[in-house]
Amino acid sequence: MTLTLFVQSVLAGLTNGFVYGLIGLGIAVVYRGARIINAMQGDFALLGGVAAYLALTRLGVPMLLAYCTGVIAGGALGFIVERLLIRPTDRRGGTDDSYLLVTLGGAFAVSAAVLLYFGRDSHVLEGIGGNASIDVFDAAIRVHAVWLIVISSAVVIGLKLFYSYTRLGQAMLAASIDIEGSLTIGINVPLMRILTFVLGGMMGGLAGILVAPLINIYYEMGLLLTLKGFAAAILGGLTSPFGAIFGGVTLGLIESLAIVSVSSGYKDVIAMAILILIMILMPQGLLGRRGRQGG
Amino acid sequence: MSAVLEVRQISHHFGGLHVLRGVNFSVAEGSVTGLIGPNGAGKSTLFNIISGFLRPTEGEIIDSGETITRLTIQQRSYAGLIRTFQTPQVFGQLTVRENLIAGCYKQGRTGVIKSLLKFPAVRLELAEAARLADQTCIEFGLEAVSDQLAGRLPAGQRRLVELARAAISKPRLLCLDEPSSGLSSEEVAQLMRILHQLTKAGITILLVSHDMDLMEISSVIYVLCFGEIIASGSMSELQADPQVREAYLGV
Amino acid sequence: MSAWSRLSGPLLKYAGVAFLVAAWAIVPVVAGRSTVDILVFTALYTIAGLGVAFLLGQCGIVSLAQSVFFGIGAYSTAYGVTVLGWPATVSMVTGVTLSGFIAAAVGIPVLRLSGYFLALATLALAIIGQVLFLEWDWLTGGTLGIGGITPISLFGYSLNTPFRFYYFVWPIVIVVIWLHYNLLQSRTGIAMRAMRDAPSAAAVIGVNIARLKVKIFVLSAVLGSFAGSLFAHYVSFVSVDSFGVDRAINFLLIAVLGGVRSIAGTVLGAFFVTSAPHLLSQFGDVHALLFAALLIVAVIYLPGGFGGAIAQAWRKLSGESRVAENVGGVRRP
Repeated sequence: MTLTLFVQSVLAGLTNGFVYGLIGLGIAVVYRGARIINAMQGDFALLGGVAAYLALTRLGVPMLLAYCTGVIAGGALGFIVERLLIRPTDRRGGTDDSYLLVTLGGAFAVSAAVLLYFGRDSHVLEGIGGNASIDVFDAAIRVHAVWLIVISSAVVIGLKLFYSYTRLGQAMLAASIDIEGSLTIGINVPLMRILTFVLGGMMGGLAGILVAPLINIYYEMGLLLTLKGFAAAILGGLTSPFGAIFGGVTLGLIESLAIVSVSSGYKDVIAMAILILIMILMPQGLLGRRGRQGG
Repeated sequence: MSAVLEVRQISHHFGGLHVLRGVNFSVAEGSVTGLIGPNGAGKSTLFNIISGFLRPTEGEIIDSGETITRLTIQQRSYAGLIRTFQTPQVFGQLTVRENLIAGCYKQGRTGVIKSLLKFPAVRLELAEAARLADQTCIEFGLEAVSDQLAGRLPAGQRRLVELARAAISKPRLLCLDEPSSGLSSEEVAQLMRILHQLTKAGITILLVSHDMDLMEISSVIYVLCFGEIIASGSMSELQADPQVREAYLGV
Repeated sequence: MSAWSRLSGPLLKYAGVAFLVAAWAIVPVVAGRSTVDILVFTALYTIAGLGVAFLLGQCGIVSLAQSVFFGIGAYSTAYGVTVLGWPATVSMVTGVTLSGFIAAAVGIPVLRLSGYFLALATLALAIIGQVLFLEWDWLTGGTLGIGGITPISLFGYSLNTPFRFYYFVWPIVIVVIWLHYNLLQSRTGIAMRAMRDAPSAAAVIGVNIARLKVKIFVLSAVLGSFAGSLFAHYVSFVSVDSFGVDRAINFLLIAVLGGVRSIAGTVLGAFFVTSAPHLLSQFGDVHALLFAALLIVAVIYLPGGFGGAIAQAWRKLSGESRVAENVGGVRRP
């Protein structure tokens, strides 16, 4: 393997890794705030990407605004999901299975809606800096990808600060750990839950707009992203924001380097196999402390 | 009297937290042995280790001379070691009768293939189990609710179902985890009568409880405090022991 | 209780069954080819769907991996018959055996997981299967698929039309249903339900939970594979599109919509999932959205699915006081 090929792999792995990490981050946010694994996270991303695409190409909105539309669309979907899917399930005694099936249904719904509207074609969302790329040791990384990494890192740090130092962040955490206690001290628990999903939705939407220019938007991308994001989240310990990014980057790098030795068609097989192995061998992740056996 | 169960130097820690340190005691055959202690003393952990839900970090559990520390829950069950749970674990979507039939699981031999192909042995096993279940229902006073879903019963009756299910599986050593919590005083009296019957049938009982009235039926009681056995004896002996009084009495 | 009211319950039940059988037998004679075609697919998906429903309803396991075994069955038949020249039965048995082994090999580590982890692991398996079916084109023909699969031949009579296949496949469905009932009404059936309701207590009554889960998973895979083989013989051409995550979702949908405890419900669920795309085809791919919406509605509002509703009606009709799960008979006062 030449140096160029190696560096190319590492760059690709890093970029993908941050995407998986962002999805994993969204999953971690929802899990931390509501104790629910959100099988729709990748589809929040899909919607974010689609919304940004439509804003940019059909409404002619400038790029930054289109991106914001994507993020907001994600947040809005998060709100809808909480009200239409999660809240009714809560009321009817939600078991882990019900939440899983309901969010899976939501994932399929978004995917089906995109299929209906766009068909099976993929669409290209314009990236930051267009198609320009930077050369590193003869390998190229798109400017957009660099921005992706920068923005993701900023978001992770921001999230950590939010949960650790703001009252709202701490209230959201408290509401999920101890419902009665939180109610007693005046935390609006239902509102915290809504905010959790909105925040998770926005994370998803952000991931969507960041990844769309690199892989193109197509109706089936949701579930695969969710699974990879889930792998990232577990690797990182399921509740830690830094952990999800760390897990994502690890996954992205392994995936990337593995493709070099095996054909690229097996990329997803490798990622899925890694997910299964992680769940079996180290469900508490590499960084997390307390294990949770997923149900 | 020989020891049905021997707990030898059992220690356990979770991470840095030592929950049990060098616990030693034995349960004599045919006796009712009690285990009491304040909350956090390590009773649940000890119980889980004895019943196979947890592997101790150190020490051994001996059952009638055989070391069973590495045996699975199922293996212990087949050896006659049956436990109940602090929150009664009934099969909620099965009827009471079906719960008891389930208790007879170990007495059957048919597997998946024979079941699929409807071998006669399958039906015979079920019929025999049903007969036993009906009998046990009567013994435990559950005939009135025998066709009701176990999950819909009030807590007291669910406890009874769990106990009946434990009894039907022909245990040698019955480990009861807080069997009286949530029961009315009539129900506790009924419980004591049932336990008495079980002892008469030769079943050894290990009892964990906060209920001092219930503990009266024990011939010997061990007191667990901060992971160690600090005293043992009959109820009256313990009540006179200043160390026990200081560490824990009453609740 | 008068003689009539004591008789009327079971009598109505038998009359109902007789009517259903007659109706079933008549349909291909009076209905068009596409209707019969839909009913054949309903039968095939019922078989595969029953595997998923059983796993979910009796053991509480959400499996999205059924598409993989469906594909293994289909490709084993396709490859065996067209490339290796094996007879249909041999190819089918190979497929079933292969699926069984893979289910066991994968199941032993994976089924130790619980809840979300397990369900998502099965989804991951579905994706792995989908990709491998595509990549291993030396075996599966990739996107080009395998064609020219000869129809099943029974005593020289070739089942090469929907009409003929209909009368072949539905008795098979009945046999599969019979097997299911047998399993439900057995010591193993009780053990499964015990495992579903209270795993700790199930362990204490002596159930080897890990082993039982694997056995049922293998059983489910065998059903999926068998259905896949029959499918291949029916459609005579198979390609990767039929064995992906979409298919896995459909099987799960059949189970959930139909009501996981109800066999009649599973049949209805299979019928719905098969016919809806047809009926809605003029609107494009809208059935996917409909299915997703129905899955959500069923999970939230209809925990018993269609089947739950039917079970209640059936009960009222025949005067029983308990649902089918009751083993050892209901004790009459």
